[in-house]
Amino acid sequence: MNILNAGGRLAVLAIIIIILIILGYALFGKREVVKTSPLVGKEAPDFTLKQFDGEEIRLSDLRGKTVLVNFWASWCMPCRQEASALEDAWEKYKDDNVVFIGVNVWDEQSSALTYMDKYGGKYPHGVDPEEEIQVEYGIGGVPETYFISPSGVIIDKFNGPLTERIIDFYLQKTMNPESESS
Amino acid sequence: MMKHKSDLQCRTFALYSLTAFLLVFLLTPSFSTAESLDDQVNEISFQLMCPVCQGQSVAESNSNLAHDMRQIIRKKLQEGESREEIIQYFVDSYGESILASPPAKGVNWLLWILPAVAIVFGVVAAGMFLHKSGSGRSEVESKESEASGPESDYMKRIDEELKKQDS
Repeated sequence: MNILNAGGRLAVLAIIIIILIILGYALFGKREVVKTSPLVGKEAPDFTLKQFDGEEIRLSDLRGKTVLVNFWASWCMPCRQEASALEDAWEKYKDDNVVFIGVNVWDEQSSALTYMDKYGGKYPHGVDPEEEIQVEYGIGGVPETYFISPSGVIIDKFNGPLTERIIDFYLQKTMNPESESS
Repeated sequence: MMKHKSDLQCRTFALYSLTAFLLVFLLTPSFSTAESLDDQVNEISFQLMCPVCQGQSVAESNSNLAHDMRQIIRKKLQEGESREEIIQYFVDSYGESILASPPAKGVNWLLWILPAVAIVFGVVAAGMFLHKSGSGRSEVESKESEASGPESDYMKRIDEELKKQDS
């Protein structure tokens, strides 16, 4: 049974072609570059961390230094896996105007202290008493690490356990962000 | 014939009414009626997806992260931030993928408009089909009635003959 006349058929065909063009654009058109975080390229949100020894450390006070911010928890197995690489990298970069900060999240303080005794705690570690820093930095799980340039801009983020090679790569990129972008 | 025509009109009216209802239902924005702080926290939490859960909103998830997010929503509401400001805060940190409903911009608008377009096309196609099949059937019925004319005369005559024999 023919339910459409010639004009109707032409209209349906035109609509189908338009929809196909739009879908084609959606699938194959210009796309945004996928970043590891929407915060990459933006100024790092400021925070004040309460260290386990009672001291406070504020990100904005570290302007002029390259900062590595590592989010971890004592119950997190990949965090244990990366702990030695972080300690070694800190030893390697501590005299190059680089600061490492460990942010303990979703954890018990006693467990965190035991973890640090076992896996090292040479550089500053602490918690955000407001428990907001992990959300402000868009953390989905641990470990996740941000690399912040001396001008306070987030250069990149790495999700998962770090190795020394990965740390070297990202720190070089963060210490010389201009050469990277050119 | 007349009965069939009015039946068709009824069906067409029902189809158009259903379309209008569906369009109104789909396109009308849901108005917020949240009043208490808990209600407002819940309302915003339902609009955000938990970043570490499978298909659960922040309101539904029991994860530590969702708990933190609900606390932050509560705190920001108490500080007087608007619903839009709070949602933007989470979008800035996690990206638009955290939104339970994709924003109607860019290619995303297709997701919003295509279902309505599909419904309209479906109803129009169904209406055209019914209209054609209805007119087709009425033609067949009129032909049948024409064809059955002499036959019914013949049957009438047989009835009359039978009655005569009975009497």
